Amino acid sequence: MLTAEYWSRAGENAWCPGCGNFGILSALKQALAELQLEPWRVCIVSGIGQAGKLPHYVKCNFLHGLHGRALPTAIGVKLANPGLKVIAVGGDGDMYGEGGGALLHAFRRNPEIACFVHNNGVYGLTKGQASPTSAAGFRTRATPEGTALPGFNPLAAGIAMSGTFVARGFAGDREGLTRLMVLALKHKGFGFIDILQPCVTYNKVNTHKWYQERVFDIGTRQHDPLDIERALERAREWPEADPEGRIPLGLFYSAQRPSYDEQLPVLRQGAPVEARPDPRKVEQAIEEFRQHGRD
Amino acid sequence: MAGIDFGLIVTGQAGQGLQVIAQALAGVFVRSGYHVFVSQDVMSRIRGGHNFTRVRIATKPVGADADRAQMLVALDAKLASLHLSELADDGLVLIDPDDGSRPETGHEIVAVPLRRLAREHGREVMTNSVALGAALALLQHDPEALRRPIQELFAGKGQAVADENLACARAGFDFVCAEGRTCRERIPRIAEDAGRLFLTGAQALGLGAIAAGVRLVAGYPMSPATPIFEFCARNAAEAGIAVELVEDEIAAINMALGAAFAGARAMTCTAGGGFCLMNEGLSLAGMTETPVVIMVGMRPGPATGLATRTAQADLLFCLSAGHGEFPRAVLAPADPEQAFHATIRAFRIAEEFQTPVIVLFDQFMADATRTIGNLQLPIANLQSAERQSLPEGAYRRYEASESGVSPFLRPGTKGQLVYVDSDEHNEEGHITESAEVRVRMVEKRARKAGGIAVMLEPPEVWPGPGRKTMVVGFGSTRGAVLEAVERLRGKGLDVGVLHICDIWPFPIDSVRAALEDSRRVITVENNWSGQVARLLRQEAGITAAGSVRRFDGRQFAVAEVAAGIERLAEGKTG
Amino acid sequence: MKPQEFNSTDPIAWCPGCGNFGIREAVKLALSELGIAPWQTCFVSGIGQAPKLPHYITCNLFNGLHGRTLPVAIGAKLANPELVVIAEGGDGDGYAEGANHFLAALRRNADITYLVHDNQIYGLTKGQTSPTSEMGMVTRSTPWGVIMPAFNAPALAIALDAGFVARGFAGNVPHLAGLIQQAIRHPGFALVDILQPCVSFNKVNTAKWYRHRVYELGKDEPHDPTDRRRAFFKAREWGDRIPIGVLYRSERRPYDIARATHGTTPLAAREPDPAVITRLTERFR
Repeated sequence: MLTAEYWSRAGENAWCPGCGNFGILSALKQALAELQLEPWRVCIVSGIGQAGKLPHYVKCNFLHGLHGRALPTAIGVKLANPGLKVIAVGGDGDMYGEGGGALLHAFRRNPEIACFVHNNGVYGLTKGQASPTSAAGFRTRATPEGTALPGFNPLAAGIAMSGTFVARGFAGDREGLTRLMVLALKHKGFGFIDILQPCVTYNKVNTHKWYQERVFDIGTRQHDPLDIERALERAREWPEADPEGRIPLGLFYSAQRPSYDEQLPVLRQGAPVEARPDPRKVEQAIEEFRQHGRD
Repeated sequence: MAGIDFGLIVTGQAGQGLQVIAQALAGVFVRSGYHVFVSQDVMSRIRGGHNFTRVRIATKPVGADADRAQMLVALDAKLASLHLSELADDGLVLIDPDDGSRPETGHEIVAVPLRRLAREHGREVMTNSVALGAALALLQHDPEALRRPIQELFAGKGQAVADENLACARAGFDFVCAEGRTCRERIPRIAEDAGRLFLTGAQALGLGAIAAGVRLVAGYPMSPATPIFEFCARNAAEAGIAVELVEDEIAAINMALGAAFAGARAMTCTAGGGFCLMNEGLSLAGMTETPVVIMVGMRPGPATGLATRTAQADLLFCLSAGHGEFPRAVLAPADPEQAFHATIRAFRIAEEFQTPVIVLFDQFMADATRTIGNLQLPIANLQSAERQSLPEGAYRRYEASESGVSPFLRPGTKGQLVYVDSDEHNEEGHITESAEVRVRMVEKRARKAGGIAVMLEPPEVWPGPGRKTMVVGFGSTRGAVLEAVERLRGKGLDVGVLHICDIWPFPIDSVRAALEDSRRVITVENNWSGQVARLLRQEAGITAAGSVRRFDGRQFAVAEVAAGIERLAEGKTG
Repeated sequence: MKPQEFNSTDPIAWCPGCGNFGIREAVKLALSELGIAPWQTCFVSGIGQAPKLPHYITCNLFNGLHGRTLPVAIGAKLANPELVVIAEGGDGDGYAEGANHFLAALRRNADITYLVHDNQIYGLTKGQTSPTSEMGMVTRSTPWGVIMPAFNAPALAIALDAGFVARGFAGNVPHLAGLIQQAIRHPGFALVDILQPCVSFNKVNTAKWYRHRVYELGKDEPHDPTDRRRAFFKAREWGDRIPIGVLYRSERRPYDIARATHGTTPLAAREPDPAVITRLTERFR
């Protein structure tokens, strides 16, 4: 049986010591090991940012693409080769800023891919600008007077957009995060986890300690993930109005509806990557344009 | 006194604070009356890796790195070996002997216990300040000169921190003095206060925009343009501008256009990849005839490429970006001084001709800091192309005119209405599919190019004595090219320079006049395919004999340019 | 001003019976009731049949790119807050191409009104599926039927705590005009998702289909728009009964334009101050 260590790829790591990404990486490797997948069957599609570098540190296929475009790419990979386990990975700027529109539609579409967002409330790789999840008042070099916008709530958006698996984890809660990742990877649809993490270099507000003092598992509160309205109320709990407020973690909402992939008729004919052109079908298509002189 | 031309390299991992040493040293020598040039080499990461900064201190203006350094300061001794080939034979290497590593080299090593002194006089994180003091001592400069730069760099973190850093610097200085070590070269103060400006290209671009009266800046973080945005954000309150961090680049260009439509000068700044996303917006600016300035920072592509490095590979892309045909201007300043004035010119052209203007720069120009003379502030405020008097009847946004420019009116003007449409439109601004109106509109827009061309600054020409060889380039290669050519002329080579800033509409006549008598035309450019050479052929019918190219993501070294020109000038295949 | 005074001379390019006619009437009615003069308005629209509306009324207009209405509208409002800024587009424009800007606009809460002509189909490009097409609908682009649930913009807006969320119907002009008025008066981002038939390409959600289903919140049924849970539930009600009216109102403060523009003089009216530039430049000496 493969262990988490098996999923490691040797090589230098470009993250700052203490970065929340390490916790997320560790949970992912553990989840992949628990699912007993094989590396050649897994494909991570990531965007640009420090989070986007994750697939370089995992032993699997990967496509490290453009900022904000991991989701459409991942959906394309999965459609072409349904045999792959596909995971879209990126930061909060990537997934909620540049790629926000794509995320909304992914919830609707419900493709069979997992989506793990490294949410540290700041743009790290470009050295510290406010991101869509930065809280109102967050001071950065790009927003010296503090950002004037409230933070984006991806869970509320996911629930409103008919998402079928909407969850939140924390990089400092390896066990809980691993559990959620296993569920998301097994989910027959869009398995979305917003993963809170500190950025030790550029976010001095939402530190590891700050999160540790506030997070709690909704599973311990008899949360019913099938109740959409309760889920939305839970999703809105955040220490914005009340700085001492608590932050719920766990599976907020889970719905049963068919995935995009299982409804798409062409996929029933087999995996597109295996398909071979059929000259007869091509000829038939051409014939439809032939004009005959006599009836 | 013989001229001084001293090169220094500071290297370390990201996060070790080597920028501080470089900026502080630069500050000392700028205020001591020298010309200083600082370039940075930064990896696309936040910690670890290998970063370095080159500092050049000279008694004449310099616009490129020194070919050889006389001192190497290695905050991480392991990284020292990466720079030994660049160090002069009698250059010094400053390391911390407790670093656990010692470069194998014949160069003289100055061992200063940086970390120990930092711990003793402040905190270990202040290792860089110790190194700063040590370096200054080696140059036999007055230690009091450290006070002001350190104060400026650390005041934001509290006076206690600034004082500790100064103590650490002093400790490093005293240690070296006590050891009696010095550099072969001494760099004393030569002027009380030359009063030169010291800034980066990004800061100059921001200043230029503010000087031009920008009112709205919309952008999304992307190297190397982010510092421009942050500069505008920092000064937003004082300058009275709205600085909007938006959800994506497409929002940025469209928001700028909305603001401009409503009458506020607007700009956005991005890099090549972000500009790709803005292409439809650029096209929109052209069709709607809405003024906008787009600052595009070139870095190696394609796609994400080398995010923190430099290139000049998006020239042809910018000249033809945006679908459809419409006039534009593209200005490619070489350094902070040109950047400031070109930006003002850009806003002037954009507003007067109601057209998009691209200010094209690169990471090297954006991030290098240098001393410049004075910046000439605009004498008169930019004249808006706004109508001075209201029209008699209903206002027509796209009223035909000889110049192609229609008088501009702000929506919200009492009693008048403004119609702007991205579809083809008639003079009123309503949608049309008429072939005849279409032709008139295409020609109207195209006519503006003539007027734009008149607003451009001509290229700079330094003809060689006999016009044998002419070197052509644009943008940030100016410094290295001029220095290389000066060196070659010293060796008796007949070579001149044509350097272009205002590159579109292409100054065909000036270029032809400058090159017509030369036997050999060579381009120098930071790209693989020789885009300047292709442009010369495309626009002026001139075929370059060859190109000196560099496309590894780094800026040209002077020696490299000189060798390249020499090789091509003498007819050896390059 | 009377509604007729808002008529423009541009010949209307909509199909006879198009829902856009009703929306146009409602817009003119709302503007005239509010006493807003054409020159005070700034309509920003995208590309589609719906975005042609500004051409057919007298107003200032910027008919820009498909999906990029909101950033332009926000830019215009920042430049001159005295303008009454109304962004207008179709469902493809607004929720597909413009989805990311819609999301950001919900956060920013700038003081603009957003009217979305929702006919659940792409009309101008002749009949492809739009984000709001219902599950199972057969179109030229999904001959096998739509296999994703419709994009529910009002639900999303409510979930993200938008300040004003309403749904209207092009077939009930007075009611719609009332919603548009309220939206314009609302200080902050106001969404009005307007159901309308597309007589040429949507044979399912016809005017008759809507008329059998829509009912007015607050009239046919009591409704407290400050009750978010109820509003979210109502926003997702679809099928045999479709509620129209003001779904949700919240107390969000509008985007602080004054702070963003640092002062009361509109950006569009300011000239550069040489003293400021000199001061900023001197910092580099």
